[in-house]
Amino acid sequence: MHAEPSTLSAPAAANVGTAVLAKTWRWCIFAGLLAVVLAGCATPPPADDPEAVADFKQTNDPLEPTNRVFYTINNGLDTVILKPAAQAYRFILPSPVRNGVHNALTNLGSPVALTNDVLQARPRRAGDTAMRFLINSTVGVLGVFDVATDWGYPVHDTDFGMTLANWGVSEGPFLYLPVLGPSNPRDTVGFGMDMAFDPFTWVGHTPGMQEFGWARTGLNALDARERYLDPIDQIKKTALDPYATFRSLYRQHRQGEITKMRNDDRATIPVWFPQPAAPAAR
Amino acid sequence: MITRRIFLAGMTGTLLAGMSVPAFAQSNGDRAAAFVKSTGDQIVAVMRGAGTTDQKRKVLGPIIDASIDVDGVARFCLGRFWRTATPDQQKRYTDLFHQVLIGNITSKLGEYQDVRLTIGRSQPRDDNDVVATTLERPNNPPTIVEWVVADAGKSPKVIDVIAEGTSLRLTQRSDYAAYLTQHNSDVDALIKAMHQQLADGKS
Repeated sequence: MHAEPSTLSAPAAANVGTAVLAKTWRWCIFAGLLAVVLAGCATPPPADDPEAVADFKQTNDPLEPTNRVFYTINNGLDTVILKPAAQAYRFILPSPVRNGVHNALTNLGSPVALTNDVLQARPRRAGDTAMRFLINSTVGVLGVFDVATDWGYPVHDTDFGMTLANWGVSEGPFLYLPVLGPSNPRDTVGFGMDMAFDPFTWVGHTPGMQEFGWARTGLNALDARERYLDPIDQIKKTALDPYATFRSLYRQHRQGEITKMRNDDRATIPVWFPQPAAPAAR
Repeated sequence: MITRRIFLAGMTGTLLAGMSVPAFAQSNGDRAAAFVKSTGDQIVAVMRGAGTTDQKRKVLGPIIDASIDVDGVARFCLGRFWRTATPDQQKRYTDLFHQVLIGNITSKLGEYQDVRLTIGRSQPRDDNDVVATTLERPNNPPTIVEWVVADAGKSPKVIDVIAEGTSLRLTQRSDYAAYLTQHNSDVDALIKAMHQQLADGKS
């Protein structure tokens, strides 16, 4: 759902990709301004209907009309660009190859993940990420094979949005961003910080690195979209209001990942060290 | 020697007795887990079994009605609009909700042909018991699915399914609420849309 349709032409022709992206962005900004002017803010229900007011507050989507415009735009871009590309990707490459690509991309995200694990003060998660990076980059041949999961270092979701949540920052109102999709102010800031944490952001000036960056972004979009092909089709088929359903699912999913991270309080004592008494079984 | 043998037999007897005690003093959590297991086994058996989708749909209907509090979930999903709806609207909506739910489950039959359900532990949450399970499908990472069971003591019924942290009934409720808000809170419009959805699903 982190759709980045504009990055598809990237791998071979970085310049074309840049031009397309710049154009898309300019268009998005224009469309965004237009949307804000035309659509504006959601009208709260009348104050004499307390239940409706409570629902409105709980939905916490004051920019709903604008968000819906962006949803429609993204949906259109997705239908004509990203979805067909993802279908082609699925058609051309067999599942093991796609899994290898996915593993390699996840491995490239390890430095950012490790930074966030540390900032979240989750030593075991940081350990998992560090071990995954070491094992999969070497034994796993540059991350293509996920050996670490079999060796007891499973993958987990982590990003700066979750770090902010752990520090007590609330999510804020719902946002539907052009190109990027469902978000909120906290996760938008998180997305920017994660880019700043990424070492690859800072080595983009050497020859070939820019192309590599584009290829990575493009593949990330393809990989994510391909993995969500069936669930997104299913939601669009069964939901009466797909926008509201994606909004609800995004929030619940984020909350679920944050709760998982908060509850991950595994002991940090090595297995060979005398263990404290096991906590009573719940 | 004999004393030792008797002693051992006695010990074994005590151990066995000790082990069977929990079976008698079954908690609501255990009952909820057992209920989810038997229901899950029934559904999985239908999904893996032979027969056409239509046949499976017919078999699944009664199982779903017996194990899921469909009326309660329907009411929950309509939220604050339940009380503004007329009794006739409530009835038509609830009937449709049954059909939509069964339609949604049977449309996934193909996907879940080789599904495996492992029951985890259960714990109380609010007034209900939540049973954690792991759902495994070939070529898919295992999914944590939680089943919220109400009234586990007397007549247990599933009132929500939480897949990887997302609650099915909360998602459905926000979908209906958004649709109704966009359509002047008109329950008839929702009913019409659900009819359309059913028709689309069958074609």
